[in-house]
Amino acid sequence: MLVSALVLTVEDGDLARLLTHLSADPRLELGSLVGRRLPVVAEVPDARSGEQLVEELQGLAGVSFVDVVLVDFSMANTQEAI
Amino acid sequence: MDRRDFLRKSAMSAAVLAASRGSEAAEASKTAVDPAVLARSGAGVTWNKAPCRFCGTGCHVQVGTHNGRVVAVAGDRLAPVNQGLLCVKGYHVGLALYGKDRLTRPLLRKDGVLVPITWERAIAVASERIAADPKGFAFYGSGQWTIPEGYAAQKLMKAGLGSNHIDANARLCMSSAVTGFLATYGVDEPAGCYDDLDVCDVLIMWGNNPAEMHPVLFSRVVDRRSRGDKITLVDIATRTTRTTGFCDHQLLFRPHTDLAIANGVMNLLLERGAYDKEFVAKHCAFRADSAPATLQGQAISIDEFRRQLALYTPDHVEKLSGVPAAQIRLLADLFGSPKLRITSLWCMGMNQHTAGTAMNTLVHGLHLLSGHFGRPGDAPTSLTGQPSACGTVREVGTLAHGLPGGLVIANEKHRKEAEEIWHVPAGRIAAQAGHHTIEMWKRFSTPKERGGDISTIWVQVTNPGQSLPNRHALVDPSRKLPGKFLIVSDVYPTATTAIADLVLPSALWVEKNGMVGNSERRTQQWFKMVQPPGEARDDCWQTIAVARSLHDKGVPGLKDKDGKFLFAIERDGKELPIWDWKHYYDVNVDEHLFEEYRAFTRFKHKDLAPYREYVRARGLRWPVVQQKDGSWRETRFRFTKFDDPYVRSDGRVDFYHSPTEDGRAQIWFRPYAPPPEVPDKDFPFWLCTGRVLEHWHTGSLTMRIPQLAAAMPQAYVEVHPNDARVLGVNNGDMVVIESRRGRVTLPAWLDGRGAPVVGSVFVPFFDERVLINNVTLDAYDPFSKQPDYKKCAVRLHKAGANRLPT
Repeated sequence: MLVSALVLTVEDGDLARLLTHLSADPRLELGSLVGRRLPVVAEVPDARSGEQLVEELQGLAGVSFVDVVLVDFSMANTQEAI
Repeated sequence: MDRRDFLRKSAMSAAVLAASRGSEAAEASKTAVDPAVLARSGAGVTWNKAPCRFCGTGCHVQVGTHNGRVVAVAGDRLAPVNQGLLCVKGYHVGLALYGKDRLTRPLLRKDGVLVPITWERAIAVASERIAADPKGFAFYGSGQWTIPEGYAAQKLMKAGLGSNHIDANARLCMSSAVTGFLATYGVDEPAGCYDDLDVCDVLIMWGNNPAEMHPVLFSRVVDRRSRGDKITLVDIATRTTRTTGFCDHQLLFRPHTDLAIANGVMNLLLERGAYDKEFVAKHCAFRADSAPATLQGQAISIDEFRRQLALYTPDHVEKLSGVPAAQIRLLADLFGSPKLRITSLWCMGMNQHTAGTAMNTLVHGLHLLSGHFGRPGDAPTSLTGQPSACGTVREVGTLAHGLPGGLVIANEKHRKEAEEIWHVPAGRIAAQAGHHTIEMWKRFSTPKERGGDISTIWVQVTNPGQSLPNRHALVDPSRKLPGKFLIVSDVYPTATTAIADLVLPSALWVEKNGMVGNSERRTQQWFKMVQPPGEARDDCWQTIAVARSLHDKGVPGLKDKDGKFLFAIERDGKELPIWDWKHYYDVNVDEHLFEEYRAFTRFKHKDLAPYREYVRARGLRWPVVQQKDGSWRETRFRFTKFDDPYVRSDGRVDFYHSPTEDGRAQIWFRPYAPPPEVPDKDFPFWLCTGRVLEHWHTGSLTMRIPQLAAAMPQAYVEVHPNDARVLGVNNGDMVVIESRRGRVTLPAWLDGRGAPVVGSVFVPFFDERVLINNVTLDAYDPFSKQPDYKKCAVRLHKAGANRLPT
């Protein structure tokens, strides 16, 4: 299990639709929007999934940038993470 | 609360804090919880600050350790550079310590095989090699050396052995930036800082791809846009990159013709009368190349400058560069607007250039001529690719011609100053500059009887077997020559350890104390947090241990004027045996070396604060000057009346190290001339090499991080679809790339992350299985001696297929 903290910078447009889409994703926990920045916690089974998730979020319509703030790999499978 | 809940809450706190940075932050910050505080309260994780190990941005991270291991990394929200953010490399930086194949024992080559030996034997072997031929010994270091590591190596060579054969890999990445600053301002390093990114109206990237190479810095700009700020981004490049996608304008130019573009813009500014006449009259002078060419050149008048520039009309520039004349005019419109704040950024695209010094001076000249200088947001700023290219190589001066603090070998007064600080006899420092990187390796690969006077090279913290250009000529011959001996200190097996005679296992990042200096003159410090694996030891200790072994052998130069060991540290009048690993951490060696080094930094107004100030801070930008109340104040904007304490006059700026000693900066005329190798009938494509987001330099660290290796597992060649069609190449097909120097085979990527123009290809250099530097050119800039990795002529064909007619 790997927990990451992300900040999504979102664009003008159909924000409600984007938030609905993100809320439905069981890997994500959304914080409250701060201006155009959305704090997000992501929980994925392994590091590769985390990497793919960031790529996926970066590719979403309405997301202009994904910043990774923190990753805690202390509970990741050692063999996988290291 | 279980551990999982705890981690999630910590992560949300971190995300909220990061999201709240900037002007909207107030309310959210009040309720947010510091993840480090949370962590301390319940998870048994200890957090400490350190700068990231990778690029020259200088992000600070909080490093979480538990049971002697790094277990978590967070962006440091108190760090002005990154304000809590990290890039994909930064947030995986902790894993760089834990690759399965860390080097943990010294290895000596016997009968062609590297076999484990003791440290005692390793130090003895190294010192025997050096003692046998001190003048044939060269040290090859790095912009990843910490400041104390570089300083120790510098002192061993120049104050100890009386040899200037020390150079660093930063020669390959930013030495043209150095010569550009010297030729313009008389002193190295940017006047501006990252704060410029927060207030500029226009950001011009000259051959620069910060969205991939300096993503946290670029994120500051993207973030401003998300808050509604209007900022115009201009990409001046030879290929389309991730950065281009964010830009309002792209000027795609033929390789090497950036000189013509800069000249064209300056010509328009003069022609229109749109330059800053008052700024130029008060603060600038004009220069052009002399014969023979020198870094100082010769003075010319503004009329002569105007006359020489007149050739560079928009139409002529279009003809040379392929950039439409309208875009040249657009750039002139921007520079000709005094109300705009313009920041220029550049990195390898301008520096790895056989006319790199010239191009650097032209961009400075554009800013000076237009008056876009010396106000927040108005700055020409070079970026660096390594964490201490500035701090260690440029400031400690670990280059063949340099001394600490911006002093130079060629100046007798500077040598005397250095000898006094080092407390060594007059004349100890050799008056002749040493061999620069290309020359050093060329001589190492040449038999002694044919001028190959370098017999032993000690490499620390870098991987020249992969990163030097034209490796076949510069590296490989040495491995077959008798009497040539290669010592390599590193943390993992690399293309260089694979060919070494002696391998020394090194500690990495938070396995040791350290200090580095980033691209904006910010000096940073951290403490050791975990033990290195096995018998790996600090590079700085290795240097001091070899120095002590030389001292004990009676090699001249290892004692100061009082007969004391050059690196002696005393406590209560007794010398501490810091050359003995068991006692190395009895004292903070970094602090002692740094305090000695600090004495050098005042000569060129690069003043550093005492070590303890950096312990408290997330870095300080020099000059750091003590105030009347005893506090230490950093300088954000150099040469400006409003911020730099060394400015003497009442004017807006004062270039107090002016090459002409009159407070003026130099605006250079530099004509465009074709590069040394251009595509032709036999080799019809341009090759450009560079980096990718996921990997750092030669990949020796990042290829050990599974997430990064999985995201970008191998090198590739970006080919334009039209060229691919002619070559019969599809995505993933193996392609042979061949130059006059060598060849490699690798998969093609069409419509990939970057988009080369027709007739050009791009290959990243991180993959040691595909040594693209067997193909690149070792021609270099005449002033900086920096090679050009960005352009050479190659041909391509599909592997297994007959070569197509070209």
